[in-house]
Amino acid sequence: MGEFKSGFFVGGESCNGRVLIVDDEPDIRKVVRMTLQKAGYDVLEAENGEKAIEVINSGENRLLLDVMICDIRMPKVNGIEAIAYFRENYPRVPLIVLTGFPDTDMATSLLRQGVVDYLVKPVEGEILKAAVGRAMERRELAPL
Amino acid sequence: MMDWPTAEKTGAAASAPTIVHANLEGERDTSSAIPVPMKVAIVGAGRGGTALLEVLHQIRTIDIVGITDKDRSAPGLHRAHELNVPVYGRTDDLLHDQPLTLVMDVTGDPAMESALRQQKPTGADVISGQASRLFWLLVQHESTLQTELLQAEKMAGFGSFAAGIAHDMNNPLQLILGMAENLAEETDLEAVHAQALDIIDAVKRTTAICRDLTSYSRRTSVRQDGLIQVNSKLDEALKIARYAVALQDIEIRKHYHPDVVVKGNPDKLLHVFVNLITNAVQGMEHHGILTLESTATAGGTQVRVSDTGCGIAPELLTRIFEPFYTTKPPGKGTGLGLYNIKNVIQHMHGTIEVESHVGQGSTFTLTFPGDPSLAEENGQS
Repeated sequence: MGEFKSGFFVGGESCNGRVLIVDDEPDIRKVVRMTLQKAGYDVLEAENGEKAIEVINSGENRLLLDVMICDIRMPKVNGIEAIAYFRENYPRVPLIVLTGFPDTDMATSLLRQGVVDYLVKPVEGEILKAAVGRAMERRELAPL
Repeated sequence: MMDWPTAEKTGAAASAPTIVHANLEGERDTSSAIPVPMKVAIVGAGRGGTALLEVLHQIRTIDIVGITDKDRSAPGLHRAHELNVPVYGRTDDLLHDQPLTLVMDVTGDPAMESALRQQKPTGADVISGQASRLFWLLVQHESTLQTELLQAEKMAGFGSFAAGIAHDMNNPLQLILGMAENLAEETDLEAVHAQALDIIDAVKRTTAICRDLTSYSRRTSVRQDGLIQVNSKLDEALKIARYAVALQDIEIRKHYHPDVVVKGNPDKLLHVFVNLITNAVQGMEHHGILTLESTATAGGTQVRVSDTGCGIAPELLTRIFEPFYTTKPPGKGTGLGLYNIKNVIQHMHGTIEVESHVGQGSTFTLTFPGDPSLAEENGQS
């Protein structure tokens, strides 16, 4: 993964939190990054579940990742598998699903697994930011 | 040069691996019960004679011994040449060249009917006049039904496209919405230009979805029959299949003989390919190798669709071409997919056979007969 700002205060600049967007479409990552960066978040990207697992396990992300936004239909490790992995290994990180295909059964099952929000593309910037804001309140600090 | 098993008119070869030929009547193949073929002569090669020829030719228990017409340019005679059915110049020769079971007179000419009744060989029946007309009407009805069934199955299958279509529509829409929201506040002109171009690209991608699916969903018409480029049709089918099944984790291998051509209806063949690819991918549960292969030799043209999926148990293999037979849960499959495929392939005078190893995968092989007029197009001299 590329460079990222570490911590909540970097060079005196405040950071609202660190968000990982997992989506196979570069366009989606670009637009989510654009929206959330403007709202003061530090945004990391992964193109599938496998990469997301790599990202969260690299360096200080294990401790400093605040929220994850995850697509469902992706190659390699898909969203469902990735979410199961994150719920088990990183239960403190709130998960938001951002999917192109609304599926009530899947939404119910994911919300039961502890996913905090289920958003259907295309989602407005304000709604996305509000969802990330709510998720930030649900996050727990990593045990040191 | 490949040596492939021929789909013989006598039934299936059963050996390991299990190979099953789609037989022509939808019955199960049993090598012990091969009916003696009916030997049929067709008199009259106009519209009625041509339609009869098309349908009777597909039935393996019927052997069309020949066709004749006073008019040397009658369309049925041309079709008979294509199907390797003997064409006779004189009715008398047709009647006495070899033993006959049935003479079908579709001339509608009472004089012909009485002449046939006098000249017919002993033991042969003659069908003519209104009885022949009834046959023709039944043949037309059967053909309409087959088209309707294909359309019904296609429409039923569209439900499974929803996830893929939603994915491909909503991703560009997300980009468009996000960029537009940003543009409303953007002051940097360079960024405005770049984002506008991104939006244009995204809109183009959504229109591609409609383009892909329109040709697939339209009702097929025999008027479109013609030469089909097999390789590009396989590629087109892959594009459509990815709406129905996730192809991201499937390795796709293509072994295409250049410029392979077959005769038939392009939309129907597209449907066949989409169906075979979709089945193959479903059998692999999203991980495996899908191989698409086309070969052309003087002996014929073959298309193979292979997967490395779960395979089909030998006891099911003999049933998969039956109508309404499905192993999928209720509401998930119509049971018409392979049945329709078999009908389309037979209409193209081809055969379909399947070879399967449980736990290793399946290969569906379509074989189209050699056609001298296509040899040049298929790169053979």
